[in-house]
Amino acid sequence: MTTDRRTFLGTTAAGLAGMSLLPIPSFAFDRVGAPARIGVIGVGRQGREIMGELGKYEGVQVTAIADADERRLESGVRRTTGAQGFAGHKALLERTDLYDAVCVATPTHTHLEVAKDAIDAGVHVYCEAPMESTIERAQALVRAARASGKVFQVGFDCRSNPVYTLARSFYRSDAVRDLVNVFAQQHSKTTWRFPSNDPARERELNWRLDPEVTLGLAGEWGSHQFDTVSWFTGRYPASVRAFGSIRLHADGREVADTVSCQLRYKNGVVMDYDATLANSYGGRFETLYGTNAAIKLAQTHAWMFKEADAPTQGWEVYANRQQFHNDEGITLIAGATKLAEQGKLREGVGLPNPPLYYALGDFLKSVTEGAEAACSADEGYRSTVVGICAAQAVVSGEEVAIGEDLMKVS
Amino acid sequence: MIVRLALDAMGTRFELVLHGGDEFFLRAVGEQAVEAIRDEHRRLSLFDPASHISRVNASGAARSVTVDRDLFDLLATAAAVWEQSGGAFDAAVGGFMRRWGHRGAPADAGTLAAGFGAVRLDPDRLTVAFTDAGAALDLGGIAKGYALDRAAGVVRAAGVGAALLHGGTSSIAAIGAPPGTEGWRVRLKSGRGELCLRDRSASISAPSGRVTEAGAAHIIDPRTGAPVEVRGESVVVGESGALADAWATALVVTGDRPDRMPPEIGSAVRVNDDWAVSPGMEQAFRALAPGETDRELDR
Repeated sequence: MTTDRRTFLGTTAAGLAGMSLLPIPSFAFDRVGAPARIGVIGVGRQGREIMGELGKYEGVQVTAIADADERRLESGVRRTTGAQGFAGHKALLERTDLYDAVCVATPTHTHLEVAKDAIDAGVHVYCEAPMESTIERAQALVRAARASGKVFQVGFDCRSNPVYTLARSFYRSDAVRDLVNVFAQQHSKTTWRFPSNDPARERELNWRLDPEVTLGLAGEWGSHQFDTVSWFTGRYPASVRAFGSIRLHADGREVADTVSCQLRYKNGVVMDYDATLANSYGGRFETLYGTNAAIKLAQTHAWMFKEADAPTQGWEVYANRQQFHNDEGITLIAGATKLAEQGKLREGVGLPNPPLYYALGDFLKSVTEGAEAACSADEGYRSTVVGICAAQAVVSGEEVAIGEDLMKVS
Repeated sequence: MIVRLALDAMGTRFELVLHGGDEFFLRAVGEQAVEAIRDEHRRLSLFDPASHISRVNASGAARSVTVDRDLFDLLATAAAVWEQSGGAFDAAVGGFMRRWGHRGAPADAGTLAAGFGAVRLDPDRLTVAFTDAGAALDLGGIAKGYALDRAAGVVRAAGVGAALLHGGTSSIAAIGAPPGTEGWRVRLKSGRGELCLRDRSASISAPSGRVTEAGAAHIIDPRTGAPVEVRGESVVVGESGALADAWATALVVTGDRPDRMPPEIGSAVRVNDDWAVSPGMEQAFRALAPGETDRELDR
């Protein structure tokens, strides 16, 4: 019997991934290599999420936070063990003695100013994704990050997600064989609106609904999921067309609350992407359909659905499975071998922490141990460009080309 | 105009009713309040291995665990009620609850257990530590009220003048009053009393499940660590939902009001058919005789 290369790779890598080479999952309360002091700039919803996840790491302390909103700043300080509060990022960055690194969680269109100031102050930077709201500004941030000599990690957190890392090892081992197409969605029934009695403050708070600065659903949410697909496939789309409309929140907003995008790749693969604020069914997931199997990724969970005629591998006999209507998914469990040895395989279904936790863990490792950034400025830039182009397609209704020249920053 | 929102959190259903003139504004405010409740669920959940409470429970016996200011202050509040109630409210009752099968899992007589007496809080370092490996925080008796305090704070800060928020119908935060009324009227599930709330929080503690035909139920008395029979209910009204929750939990165990209970917190405690109502509760609470109904409420 002969074994072709594909079969060998598929059998070997999948078998290894399933039984022995799995990444050990980072469960709660990990220690990082050395103590780290972190500043958080912007303590709205995302900034507070960041503070909450950082608080789970032993030896890590949020020592400084900044926010222009006095009430948010005050409540943010209470979510620390004694951080110093600053009314703005510039004031915080004058006190680099307080921290080793900063996390930037301000509105997308302010990332260049804030992150560049942090780079100029000589600190490591975790910058939320997408990187910026225009290509020119994102490029400027890439150049600043490259020249900094410090860690610069973009918050496309799929790249740190243990379950996604495992699923990617299956994808890369040819378990799905030829990619047919991709579908991804993010559905959530929410207004995306922050209330305020002060009209000026309301506009600031609701930058995601401000057509002058927002990337809308396609950019703010979509760019994360576009990055997942690019990270798996190693490809970026060549063009995108999209549609957007207001299906529920007719409160005077101009920014679509529902979008549908079609991203075309040079190899013929098409990625369909839906996002809405009008319905929550299905939540957020990405599915890559191959000729041998489909892989579905849902933040803390992932499954593989094999075609009946796909080659079988020994480890699958022992795999945990989950029924989805007429389909049975093999649950992809990070650290399965170790958990099986401990008799805790079922406890490994689903990550105990949100993906952000693992992204921040990688950032802390980069800061304290010098590890390479999980998502560099250049990598983050490319998925940001896809998000910006998708946002342009939603607004214009025209197909937007994503030229290879756009993907490079000189 | 009324806008309603709901979510499942802390093992129960929370509902928010907001009154005002701008539906879109009210919904946006409600979403922020919902997010505040979800946030506390994530932080305080006993069942989420990544929650802050799980972190303390996992390590508290081995070393001091640093917590943030908000969580420390909540634990300090719990400590104060534990002390003032003579241990009838105990936020470290987790081991006892598991021992007697009160947290979903089967009863396990071998579970290590110790109460709040084994919890050490250091206000200077914001740390929590256990002096007994059997101690386990379980904020089920205070968390819903605390989450509602935060949610109500969001609603008030946005300028909404009338709203009613509740968690599992037993923890309530009332903001203002519906137009033309004195307050939000709430009838006890037992039918033995009703509340009229305006800018107040309330908590109703009544045993549920395992109720005998005689109307008695078994709940854990933290002072002994063993189940006791309860034949009544408690109602507590005050400014703080967290305190109302904790005290209602304590009073249903004690059956009467401890001397050290702060006077600004009102209470009504029923044992069988007899209510003991504290002074100052006249506006907020009215006892109803068995079978009696409130005509205004029914209308």
